[in-house]
Amino acid sequence: MPNDPVDVVVVGSGAGGAPMALELARAGFSVVVLEKGAHYQPKDFLHDEILNSRRNFFMPLPWDEPHLWRKGTDQPFARTNEAWTANCVGGGTVHMSGYFYRMKPVDFRLRTTLGEVKGASLADWPIEYKDLAPFYDVAEAELGVSGNAVPHPFLEPRSRNFPLPPLDEHPVAKAIDDAAKGLGWHPLPTARGILSQPYQGRAGCSYCTLCGSYGCEHGAKASTNASVIPRALATGKVTLRPRCMATEVTVDAKGNAKSVIYKDPDGVTQEQSARVVVLSCTAVESARLMLNSVSARFPKGLANGNGLVGKNLVFSSFGQSKATFRVSKSAGKRAWIDSQAPFVNRSLQDFYLMPDARFGFRKGGTLGFMWQHPNPIFAAVGLAKKGKDGVFGKALKDKLREYKDSRILEFEIYGEFLPNPDTLVTVDAKVKDRYGLPVAAITVKRHPVDLTMTKFLVERGEEVLAALEPDALERVGVAGETTILQGGTCRFGKDPAASVLDAECRAHEVKNLYVVDGSFLPSSGGVPLTLTIAANAFRVGAALVRRLKSGGL
Amino acid sequence: MSAPEDDVDQERRVLVQRLTFLGGGVVLLGGCKKDEPAQAPAPKRPAPPTTSHLTFTDEEYRVLEAACERVLPQDEAPGAKALGVPGYVDRILQTPELSRMKDDFPPGLMALDRRALRLFGHGFPDCTAAQQDEVLTAFKDSPEASGEARWYEMLVVLTLEGALGDPSYGGNKDRAGWALMGFTLVGTAAAEPPPDYDGRKALHVRCGDGKGC
Repeated sequence: MPNDPVDVVVVGSGAGGAPMALELARAGFSVVVLEKGAHYQPKDFLHDEILNSRRNFFMPLPWDEPHLWRKGTDQPFARTNEAWTANCVGGGTVHMSGYFYRMKPVDFRLRTTLGEVKGASLADWPIEYKDLAPFYDVAEAELGVSGNAVPHPFLEPRSRNFPLPPLDEHPVAKAIDDAAKGLGWHPLPTARGILSQPYQGRAGCSYCTLCGSYGCEHGAKASTNASVIPRALATGKVTLRPRCMATEVTVDAKGNAKSVIYKDPDGVTQEQSARVVVLSCTAVESARLMLNSVSARFPKGLANGNGLVGKNLVFSSFGQSKATFRVSKSAGKRAWIDSQAPFVNRSLQDFYLMPDARFGFRKGGTLGFMWQHPNPIFAAVGLAKKGKDGVFGKALKDKLREYKDSRILEFEIYGEFLPNPDTLVTVDAKVKDRYGLPVAAITVKRHPVDLTMTKFLVERGEEVLAALEPDALERVGVAGETTILQGGTCRFGKDPAASVLDAECRAHEVKNLYVVDGSFLPSSGGVPLTLTIAANAFRVGAALVRRLKSGGL
Repeated sequence: MSAPEDDVDQERRVLVQRLTFLGGGVVLLGGCKKDEPAQAPAPKRPAPPTTSHLTFTDEEYRVLEAACERVLPQDEAPGAKALGVPGYVDRILQTPELSRMKDDFPPGLMALDRRALRLFGHGFPDCTAAQQDEVLTAFKDSPEASGEARWYEMLVVLTLEGALGDPSYGGNKDRAGWALMGFTLVGTAAAEPPPDYDGRKALHVRCGDGKGC
């Protein structure tokens, strides 16, 4: 039996899809949300590392639904689970850590700011920071963000402070402040998508510490599953269909999007027709769905007449170091050592944009300080290592005892990732997932400037950690990429020949198709992307409501 | 389900990836699974194999117990056996997510046993601790892509999961694994799963019986 047509069908319920559904439903439009994963309830979020972090509770099994991955166009592809975010209602917002930074005005004007960068395909955004700023306010209020905006050289213009006061901090934050200030820098409190107190019917954070990589059973984390989705459902205008995997977007004779074909929870093929189709499956998976939606009108994939769908993929540049403090060696010198408070919540953005290229780069990013994740299996596997470095037996047990005597403070880099022609998503017809669909094939080539930049930021972070006089300081890496933070595959722009989406995130080639995950981003900025994706979805949702009300599709 | 494998390299990469998925260890013995019996003395094992376990024969289980105990030996704190790790491995390999590992892991135990027999004249469980460590080290230090090296990683990862996972899976007896690491969050700052919680059942229900989330 065919499903009744609706005004809008949204594919994906994460940071992009959920705000769209909410905005449209509030304006009275009927919405169906198709979500590939399950609709977890608070009781499903259990503190069981094996269930939660080491199996397919969030991420699909790589032999069922691989992402092919290679670094360099001359390398073979490997089957991985890279670049998946959580498959469940709320998507990646469910298991995120919730580091909620805004992008800065410079991120919207990167091509103009940097000029031509050889080997990079930089582009300015078709909107400015001031166009998005009001929707950052909306997103921070709808999701619930705790923080305190303090003056620093790269503080973005804001009309007001965060809706909730900052979370309680671990006293080491003060030591980081002193160290960073001593180096001439400007430490700032990290805003979090976590409630510091009860808010809109949701409980405040319980400081359980098992936060990032877990779902929050109190609803204190700003997942769309806890914040936006319940309000969308409460309008009565939204039908949420979990465990429904979109397989194709169909088009009519005029080339407009007509429906979404999907597999329901029983594996039965279904079709949902709508006036408007909104995709929000992550930058990798939305591109894959479009590339797999081949028709006579769009033989290279939906809205892909110019061949740009899947191109210009960006992640976030990653680097990390960790400092180990032995509890037994801390007497009389580390007043903060005994506190078990989970949140450090300190960041540095002094190197967000360098005044000149004397260090080999100009656009940098953010350093975020945190305690190492407390999962014990994760920690022990890391300590056991493998190959010639591997240890077992008494040596391994002694390492586990040392761990017990340690507090491990680390920082992560969220750095610019320069888009380039050799970093992209394609589909591979030879490799299919358990639904029989060609899987996403991801090719990554890192721009050398990214690596110079990441190393520089890591060295600055290490200066801060060293000032705390740790018992050990270990560099984890300077050349990584955080693949859960992804964008670029349907970049937005004014020129239909050089972009997939227009400034409203509507496809140039398909006037009733929108993409509202990170795909629209021409550049990844120097911060995690989640808040920006949510803010942009509220912006696009408001524009779509205006269009639908004025009949201007 | 998964696409057909068209070459050995592809298969190998899948297996390597499975290792990443579990956060550390893996699988498959490549050549030695088939090659070694021809070179090693005929194994002196009772036929047919008997078992009182879910995944392993009794003989394999003895090797498993001995190998896990060398990864985490008893000292002033409990070792793998006292923590219930072998039982964890036996049961967790019955979960659908690890169905292919269930086929790959037991032959590795017998390869370990044959290596011990060849080097020291005794099966692995009957070697001295120092001899056992020597055999395990040889597997550990094998080339990265070799079956031995990947099997070693899988042994270590499964042992650590058993020792440090939620006690409902059958390991981490009396939370002694967590005590060793100083992990005290579950049951204090973080709520523990309900009293009747069974991690393997939760995997079954919440992870869709291996069919993905």
